[in-house]
Amino acid sequence: MKALAKKNLADALALLAGQATVWVPAKVAGVTRFAPWSPAVTLDLEATPPAVSPKEILLPETESLYRYSAYGMDVTFEAVEQEVPPTIIWGIHSCDVQAILCQDDVFLSREPQDAAYAKRRAATTLVALACTTPGPDCFCTSMGLEPAEHASTDVQLHILTDGYGVEARTARGEEIVARLAEKGLLVETIEPPAKAQACTRAVNPEGIDKKLVEMFEHPYWDELAATCLNCGACTFLCPTCHCFDLTDHRRNAHEGTKIRCWDACMFTEYTVMAGGHNPRPGKKERVRQRFMHKLRYFPERYGKWQCTGCGRCVARCPVHIEITDVIKEVGEVTLDG
Amino acid sequence: MGEGQRELIPQSVTVTKIIDETPDVKTFYLALRDQGGRCSAPFHTLPGQLAMLSLPGVGEAMFSATDGGDHLQLSIKKVGRLTDELHEMAEGQQVGLRGPYGNGFPMTEMQGKNVLFIGGGIGLAPVRSVVRYCVDHRADYGKLHLVYGARTPADLIFLDDLTKHWPAVEDFTVSMTVDNGDDEWQGHVGFVPAYVEELRPEVANTVCVLCGPPIMIKFTLNVLRKLGFQPENIYTTLEMRMKCGIGKCGRCNIGHSYVCLDGPVYRLDQLHELPNEY
Repeated sequence: MKALAKKNLADALALLAGQATVWVPAKVAGVTRFAPWSPAVTLDLEATPPAVSPKEILLPETESLYRYSAYGMDVTFEAVEQEVPPTIIWGIHSCDVQAILCQDDVFLSREPQDAAYAKRRAATTLVALACTTPGPDCFCTSMGLEPAEHASTDVQLHILTDGYGVEARTARGEEIVARLAEKGLLVETIEPPAKAQACTRAVNPEGIDKKLVEMFEHPYWDELAATCLNCGACTFLCPTCHCFDLTDHRRNAHEGTKIRCWDACMFTEYTVMAGGHNPRPGKKERVRQRFMHKLRYFPERYGKWQCTGCGRCVARCPVHIEITDVIKEVGEVTLDG
Repeated sequence: MGEGQRELIPQSVTVTKIIDETPDVKTFYLALRDQGGRCSAPFHTLPGQLAMLSLPGVGEAMFSATDGGDHLQLSIKKVGRLTDELHEMAEGQQVGLRGPYGNGFPMTEMQGKNVLFIGGGIGLAPVRSVVRYCVDHRADYGKLHLVYGARTPADLIFLDDLTKHWPAVEDFTVSMTVDNGDDEWQGHVGFVPAYVEELRPEVANTVCVLCGPPIMIKFTLNVLRKLGFQPENIYTTLEMRMKCGIGKCGRCNIGHSYVCLDGPVYRLDQLHELPNEY
């Protein structure tokens, strides 16, 4: 296997950053999140996982879609052309690679595709980093993932004593590896890569998607939702939550921009209709929607869990509503008949 | 799906005609107008399909569309900020439009069958797109029967269709009712479900197209069941709040189904498979 020594990492990133925006996990104001690499960036490849996922790279928190104008009888709409540079996400873990596959299902798998997402996705190369020491809230193995590697990355980095094993998995990955090799940044090694330690959190979601079909009206949701603040932190941190709003950013009475920004099923206004009817009027309905979506509706529609076990919602929920508890408790519920 | 502009960016279209249907419902004709003044449809829709109408700086909302050949028709009730603004508009105004969205009614599957249309209030808008299709392809369908109800005689929409055009079509019965009559109203008074029961429409080889307020749908379904209609022969349309129209922004789901993409038309047996959350 080829290896990249830790001492060559900065050179490797600098080389790739010459031709692409290279997003790396970095300490930004004390929080580990993805940031475009520059020599000034403080890399943090140890965070498992980074506190903020790389979701925003493919689905920006806000983006401009088009400019509009309305003068008298005339209205115009003009697309805001997005500049999408070649992009590399370096150091993404299995959980977040899997989350991108979930986003691909939503934005690309059914016609019509989402053009802006498709453009960004097509420009993006994934360089995954093995995650060998899972954090206290991690449970990716319960959701069927392998923290040490992911099949759907372009390059897989393995953990070695003093560097990274480098394994290309796609033609795109081969290109990156070839560029690093060409500059003499890679050596051959026979060192076996580090294996992942077991996640300390473990649940068994097997069969709960089917069980949830029978649980829509179950009193469990009242109980679960009782303490929820509907703050939406879970949805914003979740690497698979994709819901968005389209709204007008008015420059003046006549002109403005239509923006897309993240939205969340935790908010009342999300589903309220003109005239006032709201099909999900209370906390119970909204909390139920979130977990049903992750564990039943998404599997029904796309054939995979919409939870990758990254544990971010577990870590940050202010009232400790934990999806691992939900999976466990749903599994334990006794159904009538 | 045909031509159209189903991505998120609207095109400018002109409101070429506005019809006052009732005190709170207007029908808007929307078209692309070339420099010679000739109109063409921004896109074509199947019966039951949707279009997203955009007022810059105000917002967007999804409406059932009826294909008018060289234009689209949207019949819109005043219920909120965007629809209030729409109702203030004059002919010649441009607005934004994108679509078509949604599945539409299965007009091919319905061929050879009788069709019972049941509409309540503004719910006649999606029903009308199906009626017009059946009338335009009259030989493909059996007997047609429309039962339509509104709150008062003043609230009946598409009066010309109801009283002139459709009764003149071969084998087409139009039955109207109002919840509350007035001094001039000679017709039936009563709620739609009870009227349907009273009319005892033909069930054999008949599909039912049912659109209206949720409460009317609920009670009408009870009646249809009593009359012997099977869920496989009943179609209805659902409404949810929508933003994108392409099954991605998340809010219009009922279970795994996105109303903007997989709906808004559902067969009752398919609807029974989904959570009761609409």
